[in-house]
Amino acid sequence: MAAIIEKESLIGKAIPKMDAPGKVSGHTRYIHDLNLPGQLIGRILRTDRVHARIISIDTKEAEALPGVHAVITAKDVPNKPLGVTKDNPPLKGDKVRCERDEIAAVAAETEALAEQALSLIKVEYEELPALFDPRQALLENAPVIQESKPDNISMEFDYSHGDVEQGEAESDVVIEDLFKLHYVTHCCMGASGVIADFDSTSGNLTLYSNTQVPFLHKREFASVLNMDPNRIRIIQPPIGGGFGSKLDIYPFEPIAVFLAQKARRPVKLTFSREEEFLASPTRQPAYLRLRSGVTKEGVLTFRTLDSLLDNGAYTSWGATIPFVMMQTFSSLYRVPHCLYHTTTVYTNNPYAGSFRGYGNLQATFCVEAHMDKLAEAVGIDPLRFRLKNAQQAGETSGQGMHFKSCGFKECLTTAAARSDYAIKREQNLKAQGDDNAVKKGIGMASMLHVGGGAKIYPSDGCGTILKMDDFGHVTLMTGASEIGQGSETVLSQLVCEELGLPLSAVTVVNNDTDITPWDVGVHASRTTFIAGNSAIGAARLAREKILNAAAGTTAMPADQLSLRGGCIVIDESGEAVITLDKLLRSLHFQERAELVTTSFYYEPPSVHQDKAFKGDVSASYAWATQVVEIEVDTLTGVVTLNRCTAAHDVGRVLNKLGIEGQVEGGIVMGQGYALTEDLLIDEGHCQNPNFRDYKLITAPEIPEIDLSFIETMDGEGPQGAKGIGEAPAICMAAAIANALYNATGVRIYEAPFSPEKVYRALKGCSQPLEW
Amino acid sequence: MTNFKSYLAPATLDEAVDQLNQGNVTVLAGGSDLMLRVGAGNYDPSHTLMNILKINELRNISFEDNEVQIGTLTTITEIREDPELSIKMPLLGQAADQFASMQIRNVGTIGGNICNASPAGDMLVPLLLLDAAVELARQSDGGVASRRVALKDFFVGPGKTQCQSNELLTRVSIPFSKQGFRARFYKFGTRPALDISTVSIGIGGIFNNGYLQAPRVAFGAVAPVPFMALKTMKAIEQSPLDSERIKEIAEIARDEIKPIDDVRATAWYRKQLVHNLTIKVLSDVTDA
Ligand SMILES: Cc1cc2nc3c(=O)[nH]c(=O)nc-3n(C[C@H](O)[C@H](O)[C@H](O)COP(=O)(O)OP(=O)(O)OC[C@H]3O[C@@H](n4cnc5c(N)ncnc54)[C@H](O)[C@@H]3O)c2cc1C
Repeated sequence: MAAIIEKESLIGKAIPKMDAPGKVSGHTRYIHDLNLPGQLIGRILRTDRVHARIISIDTKEAEALPGVHAVITAKDVPNKPLGVTKDNPPLKGDKVRCERDEIAAVAAETEALAEQALSLIKVEYEELPALFDPRQALLENAPVIQESKPDNISMEFDYSHGDVEQGEAESDVVIEDLFKLHYVTHCCMGASGVIADFDSTSGNLTLYSNTQVPFLHKREFASVLNMDPNRIRIIQPPIGGGFGSKLDIYPFEPIAVFLAQKARRPVKLTFSREEEFLASPTRQPAYLRLRSGVTKEGVLTFRTLDSLLDNGAYTSWGATIPFVMMQTFSSLYRVPHCLYHTTTVYTNNPYAGSFRGYGNLQATFCVEAHMDKLAEAVGIDPLRFRLKNAQQAGETSGQGMHFKSCGFKECLTTAAARSDYAIKREQNLKAQGDDNAVKKGIGMASMLHVGGGAKIYPSDGCGTILKMDDFGHVTLMTGASEIGQGSETVLSQLVCEELGLPLSAVTVVNNDTDITPWDVGVHASRTTFIAGNSAIGAARLAREKILNAAAGTTAMPADQLSLRGGCIVIDESGEAVITLDKLLRSLHFQERAELVTTSFYYEPPSVHQDKAFKGDVSASYAWATQVVEIEVDTLTGVVTLNRCTAAHDVGRVLNKLGIEGQVEGGIVMGQGYALTEDLLIDEGHCQNPNFRDYKLITAPEIPEIDLSFIETMDGEGPQGAKGIGEAPAICMAAAIANALYNATGVRIYEAPFSPEKVYRALKGCSQPLEW
Repeated sequence: MTNFKSYLAPATLDEAVDQLNQGNVTVLAGGSDLMLRVGAGNYDPSHTLMNILKINELRNISFEDNEVQIGTLTTITEIREDPELSIKMPLLGQAADQFASMQIRNVGTIGGNICNASPAGDMLVPLLLLDAAVELARQSDGGVASRRVALKDFFVGPGKTQCQSNELLTRVSIPFSKQGFRARFYKFGTRPALDISTVSIGIGGIFNNGYLQAPRVAFGAVAPVPFMALKTMKAIEQSPLDSERIKEIAEIARDEIKPIDDVRATAWYRKQLVHNLTIKVLSDVTDA
């Protein structure tokens, strides 16, 4: 009678994401599709000045408009400042400091009424001298943006190891260049939104929110709202993209709550696309001056970096990208002497938040340009030069990062071999002088990023509750949020792997702080690694309980049993002993096996950085090399990206489809950063808050992509995997800049490489970069 | 959220011009320009919004003895796909092919593109090149009267045309080209689809014995209106075209345009583009 069930593994298979059918068929209900009974529509009045004192705000007419239920300004609310340094009050009462500043908000029965109410609010200002250029922020007479920071410095970072003077003395070649990086923004397809709903009897607050960090937000909201955190529940409807943009609390969120409080009705506040451009965070723009040295044998000697970040008017996560930037400077390659400094200054410009890669795109852009330049200066080909200086497994970098597994060299050689890098590079160099108007170029860049969580907050944990029901169905309650990255699917796979179940046997609950265990949030490429380990922990506990119970009923020792195909089987023969659902039913409400297990992955073996920014911040590190092939039309400056060959050390592939999607998406995001995306800010005002003039990559521009996954089987990773969420976006700008140089002999130090910028550079008419 | 005083959708041209005659009417065709403006609050709420899409007599493409007549409501997709048009006036199909995206081409009309009078309107350069004229209808003695205006005289400034508030553009007429006429249209944007022209160039004529006879040159997005480049045309006509001469002509073209700086490009870059692309397009037209 007994069927034989073969061992099967889901790991490495191509599994469609569980949320895909709903999304592609238009059935997924995002926050925009949710409406609560009695709900009002909230809208925010933003300033039209960039630096001005508010003399008066007259809301009388707006309040008198029938259908308007609440109008609020700074004086009506506990206006505790938000943000990384708590310098951003939700509503501005005394001064406005940038284009997105919130002055008043209304809640009305319809969107039209809310808009009408906003148009009736009168604000009187006194203009203040404005500061737009971060390079002028430190001048003696520069306007002061934040009174508490009269020197206009919001943050400073210093790091060093070794002795750069000694490094410079040992160098045969020293180069120094200035680089400039621009504003881009996340462009989540689901624009920002929140619904605030107070329970009329208990006074408890439910927030329907797109946050990436529900538990941290719960705590911060409690402080901002002067509420007991126990009375706040955060529910995340399916999130239409995050990419880091939802890692901080921004003013619209408490504003919606204040409106709901005042109106005593639920309030929904969603952004229009224009508002999304004007008022959501950007990637951090930067000036970076890099000085590097090398011996004539091709060994890196030292690096100094001085950088200036435009903080904008308030401080969000963008200002903290030095945490990641310095890792690339100090540790992507072996550099014996390093000195790093960043100053972040206030201006009247928009402020930056966290954004996939978190400073690493900017850092890699400079470092990898210098790797090509240094290689050329000492006459070594760029691949060999990188291999010579690349970190390898077992090493600890000057900054204290310990690389237990490291596929960097394999990434380099694989990407180079699969793209014919060496041959094409030579061919392109030779063709530079011919009279063909279209030049071909090939360029490479590599990156290092955290791949095993990141000790940024006091803890880096995630909890899991796993419940098995009488029918063999598993409910996985995880703290980890899904923002489209595919965590539901990967976590289910990891659980199924332990319990011998098909994916259809799992439901994931991951969006309600009243149900799910704690988690620090989706960021730092950490979810698969941290939440995955946590889910495995809970599944292993369940497995143990099930096999022990099965041992009781089958008179077989538990260690000779296994779980496969929804059955308990004899491990060696695969012979099915009893179906899982039947066993579970027999255990119903019995003491010997509660069918709920809990587990956590709390503190991965990593350490916090010390005050000098040294420490092994992640349990594991991801590596990648990307080689791009481009064509440059010298008549127009148009750069066409034809091919990207990417090799990533991912530890191990868990879901092949998922990881391919993630890497391809990241490559395209990096392509946009390099070539087309540019949020134009002129005197503090955004010039292109729409998809017509803010150019995301469109389908025909996507290059042919060749992916290789280097499986280093990380000892600490779930089934050997590392986090790779951010990695694929990081190299592109750097690689394309190197390819441009290979194609034309002209190096461009400022992204994006728009046709006009490239054309100017080719004609020798670029504006020189200055700082 | 639209807040027009009222909305109507007449089924005949008579009704439409009657309504226009009463004043305060905004005409709606495909809406792919208009609704963007309305969405931005840029419209007159005291107006009646008049949808003309139900007026079937404004739709046809018809081939007459000397000219083709294209109804104002003909969509860009219809122009792109019309088999006879693609033989008789391939330039229109070339331009339609580079126009927006399929979704926009399916709703955007040729009349809307003309009346919108954007310096970057992509059908305008080829239509100018082909010496098109527009018919403007208005009410007269209870009937419909019509006048014809050459397209080269139609555009007054960005968004401004000769079409009066009581007039409706009904169709575009394009004379058949002479035997041997060939033309090319080139749209430069920074990406292959869904882009507004940074510059656009149309060049045509009859290439004979090294000369481009009866040359036609039009530029878009480099002046307040799309226009015929008369100086460049004259220079082309004067002497046979070899690669040296083509370079000289490109310089004349560069100096003839009057571009501005905007979010898409600086004037300097537009001049460079017109120079370089004139060489390319002119070489293409003369390279039989
Ligand atoms: C995403 C997007 C991409 C686009 N890409 C391009 C592009 O690549 N190239 C390009 O040229 N354009 C482009 N456009 C602009 C637009 O699609 C075209 O100009 C289109 O041809 C307009 O036609 P319509 O029928 O939609 O005009 P509508 O928006 O209906 O009308 C435009 C204007 O003309 C007036 N009007 C229309 N018909 C008449 C008539 N018969 N008589 C009098 N007045 C009239 C209207 O009152 C209005 O002022 C794009 C638009 C969008 C939204």
